[in-house]
Amino acid sequence: MVNAVDDRAAQGRVLVVYTHPLEDSLVAAVRDRVMAGLRAAGREAVLVDLYGEDFDPLVTASDRDGEESTADRTHDGSGSTTEPVARYRRLVRSADTLVFVHPTWWGGTPAMLKGWIERVLGGAGPGSRGVEPLRHVRRVVVVTTHGSPRWQNVLEGQAGRRLFLRGLRTVVHPLARARWIAFYGVDRSTPADRAAFLRRVERRLARL
Amino acid sequence: MRVLVLHAHPDPASATSTLFQRVCDTLADSGHDVDPVDLYDLDGRPFAPALTPDERRAYHGPDPVVDPVVADQIERLRSARALVFCYPTWWFGPPAVLKGWFDRVLVPGVGFRFDERGRVRPGLTHIRRLAAITVHDRGRVVTTLAGDGGRLTIARRIRATCGWRTRLDWLALYRGDRPCGERQRRFADRVAGRLARW
Repeated sequence: MVNAVDDRAAQGRVLVVYTHPLEDSLVAAVRDRVMAGLRAAGREAVLVDLYGEDFDPLVTASDRDGEESTADRTHDGSGSTTEPVARYRRLVRSADTLVFVHPTWWGGTPAMLKGWIERVLGGAGPGSRGVEPLRHVRRVVVVTTHGSPRWQNVLEGQAGRRLFLRGLRTVVHPLARARWIAFYGVDRSTPADRAAFLRRVERRLARL
Repeated sequence: MRVLVLHAHPDPASATSTLFQRVCDTLADSGHDVDPVDLYDLDGRPFAPALTPDERRAYHGPDPVVDPVVADQIERLRSARALVFCYPTWWFGPPAVLKGWFDRVLVPGVGFRFDERGRVRPGLTHIRRLAAITVHDRGRVVTTLAGDGGRLTIARRIRATCGWRTRLDWLALYRGDRPCGERQRRFADRVAGRLARW
């Protein structure tokens, strides 16, 4: 017999990719509410903090994404810079839900996160063996903040939103659901606006 | 006219790198003052893409520039009258190193400014022309379906901060990383032809 608890147990792991340089930022508060929401939903979640883990977002000419390359690099003594990439890839493979928490700068993801996508999800650079297959990912959630108002972002095309809701969709499960939870106009917002957004984030993640 | 040409590919043998050389030569031949910037080789070191915690803390303060490398880029940007971006499109947008140049160099007071009511105003009004020369990894159809965010970033977000009178030349080669030398040569000719008219 199937009940709600069994359904929950059948759900896979959630990988939360968090990007912001400062711990006292609004985005850091958003991250905490995301984790609280996921706990309330009873989901097993792994948090990755790209600044906290000092991730190197730079694709290099010798980047050969994937585990095989770690061996290559160790052999020629050029260090173990692909080591964290292999770990992130394992985390991506073991998750069926990807949650991205970051600010939107210049219409898109911070360079730190763009580099993580390029190096970990693959497909970038001369040594690339192609994009990491992500057909096991059935859900993508993006929680992001914008300094500028919504109309301006819409007018300017929302490149970051397109990357996750359309670009990433070319590689995840064909029936994957994508959610965009965004705060616009941080620059001119009030503490009450921000508190309301944080409550909304926790509520939405708890329903995941 | 002084032209800042930014290049963002790690492999000197790539199609993008060949295009970068061709762009610089073409502009210099027509008498422009070319300032080439290879983001993977700034005096032997790559440009660090990630905005640092110190930079973020200083971002809305009186002096948002912390790193001398960034200060040098700002000085070169300020003396330019045109900007050319030469980069591979990965994941439907500019690579991290170029996105990082936007994040770290185009800070308040440089890339934009706030007016007295806290609204964002253009900061690169001295840039009269823009060009983007990009080699896509994916095909044209997939890129269009995925929303072509990279084009919007340059054509709208960056152009908006120059002013809507700034003209943009958008030159894109799709599936350019495939080994098909003839297509790449034809594309390079098209790029040179367009920039020769600047």
